Amino acid sequence: MSTTRIAIAAALAAAIAAPLAVQAQGNVEKCYGVAKAGKNDCQTSHSSCAGTSKKDGQTDAWLAVPKGTCEKIVGGKLTSS
Amino acid sequence: MTLALRDLQAAMAAYLASGDGTGLAGAVAGDSIPADARLRIHRHHLHESLATALTTTFPTVRQLVGEAFFRAMARAFVAANLPAQPVLSEYGEGFAAFIDGYDRARGLPYLGDVARLDWALNVAFHNPWQSRLTAPDLATIPAEQLPAARIGLAPGTTVIRSAHPIDRIWAASQPGASSATVDLDAGGTCLLVFRQHDDSGFVALRAGEAAFASSLLAGASLEDAAFAAFAVDPGFDLSVVFRRLLDLTVFVALQQ
Repeated sequence: MSTTRIAIAAALAAAIAAPLAVQAQGNVEKCYGVAKAGKNDCQTSHSSCAGTSKKDGQTDAWLAVPKGTCEKIVGGKLTSS
Repeated sequence: MTLALRDLQAAMAAYLASGDGTGLAGAVAGDSIPADARLRIHRHHLHESLATALTTTFPTVRQLVGEAFFRAMARAFVAANLPAQPVLSEYGEGFAAFIDGYDRARGLPYLGDVARLDWALNVAFHNPWQSRLTAPDLATIPAEQLPAARIGLAPGTTVIRSAHPIDRIWAASQPGASSATVDLDAGGTCLLVFRQHDDSGFVALRAGEAAFASSLLAGASLEDAAFAAFAVDPGFDLSVVFRRLLDLTVFVALQQ
């Protein structure tokens, strides 16, 4: 084996052999979890009657402005909006 | 007029996509509710249901822009992208690219990448859990065989690169998040998205880690993945990073 390959083998083996104590110290990190509600194939808007209007009641004109947490995102190219 | 079933189905599909019901004339019953009104109800219901499915698949995008804006954007996507299969959780793959080109969202240049993160979390979540390789599993392999070993990452695992701090944007959009602002000038990020036991999640990766994980995802050996990582980050610490990935339990099948 080349020296490089020996070094790689040693590094990988060291990682595998690392004791749990090291793991607890060095690798406690926040891992964001996303719990999702179940979904199935026959989902409806709210109930089976949710779509019983003939067309959208909303016009797009007054929906053109985002109103959510994007207000918290500042800087960058956002100044153009 | 009586249509053959095949023609009726084709005409119905065309109507649901376009709103043009000329091929269905006479094929739908009407009484106090005329036939064309019945058709419009069905089409509206379909589009609303799909827009709602997008709301649950892209919760961070929805949170960022608000319900009204999201629904308008989702309906525009639905109108041009009816699903090709029946599973709602698999609907919306093209939504991120659609957002990139959505004129009204151009003031939010990060929105498409946030949609990519939402989609990746959705894909990871809906992949079945399978047992993961742990350190004791790998300890059975002689060290000299490790460099050439190929270790698969769990199905649904992806690396996302963005020029925007989408991890921080994601965090600021969660329920209960502080009102602190996120500075877009903070720069980009690389994220590893993967399935955990009962949900999906992500961690931020440094450049070398991202190169290592991407190489493994592409099927490279541990050695070649390490070289790819060293190429972008001379300070890449193989031992630490390999252990980090082991502890995240993203490794599955081993092919030597």
